[in-house]
Amino acid sequence: MKGHSCPDPVDLHILDALQDDIPLVPRPFTAIAERLGIPERDFLERLKRLHELGIVRGISPTIESRHMGLTAATLVAIHVPDERVREIADIINSYPGVSHNFRRDHYYTIWFTLSGKNREDIQHVLAEILQRTGVPDKDVMDLPTVRKLKVDVRFSFFNKTDQEDVSGPD
Amino acid sequence: MDRTDLDLLSELENGLPLVNEPFKEVGKRLNLSGKEVLERINNLRAEGIIRKFQARINQRQVGISANALVAWKQPGPPGCDIGSLLASFPCITHCYERLPVPGRWEYSVYTVHHGYSRDAVLAEIGDIANRVGVLDYVVLFSTEEFKRVPNVRIRENGCTML
Repeated sequence: MKGHSCPDPVDLHILDALQDDIPLVPRPFTAIAERLGIPERDFLERLKRLHELGIVRGISPTIESRHMGLTAATLVAIHVPDERVREIADIINSYPGVSHNFRRDHYYTIWFTLSGKNREDIQHVLAEILQRTGVPDKDVMDLPTVRKLKVDVRFSFFNKTDQEDVSGPD
Repeated sequence: MDRTDLDLLSELENGLPLVNEPFKEVGKRLNLSGKEVLERINNLRAEGIIRKFQARINQRQVGISANALVAWKQPGPPGCDIGSLLASFPCITHCYERLPVPGRWEYSVYTVHHGYSRDAVLAEIGDIANRVGVLDYVVLFSTEEFKRVPNVRIRENGCTML
């Protein structure tokens, strides 16, 4: 194990397998290791290493937000001057309703998602963020979610060279 | 869902322990048997409270450094639903329909794309655009990640039920 570059092809197979739901059995890693044809001990060592390197953030359940009373969501885009991006991003991050916050290559510099109990709740939080950051309304776009059509995060680790081969619906 | 389920979900948010019998290990912290932990997880899954149970992977760390949000303009007539069509492409990980900002931002469907290079991602998006027949779209590559956490975190924002 020691000395190989991480992730190596075996690691990529492990990462790929971990994108499926974890088997709900007493020894789930044994089950995955067997499926991949890797000794269980080797599998766990590699998994721990991938975790230590921050490649695997964790194996945890995704909870359906509407069951937790979070029924409204929006994407907010704001234009801010370069020198204030970091400071404003920190303020946005401090709100628990914010789950994703990215700088993007566009006139609208910061894009973040905000969820809440209802639309009023979201508007209240957004108004507070704008008030604290001093970003004027004209530099803000509030893009409420109408329909969640798909959330299925799955990366292709094996098509580095032929990414142009897009498989689509037939 | 009862208080114990919430405690269990809260514990699982830390990630499954990387040991041979992770559910038993989680159970120890909550005074539950491994079997009981699995039963509760199965029930939460059946009720749709747990949508998925998989690894969260930091794709940038394996070289998937080009990550784009794309905003698409829904063409008229309204009967044409490009959202469902876009969602059916396996390479698209997220697809949402959102309200536009009339007069300023007419885009209403959003997709997320990932790849090893911007060129590869742009080629993928261009190909999809041609196949879907929508040529008015904006590609928004991320250049810095400020926050990326699950939508629901029991301890932080999740519990309004009990």
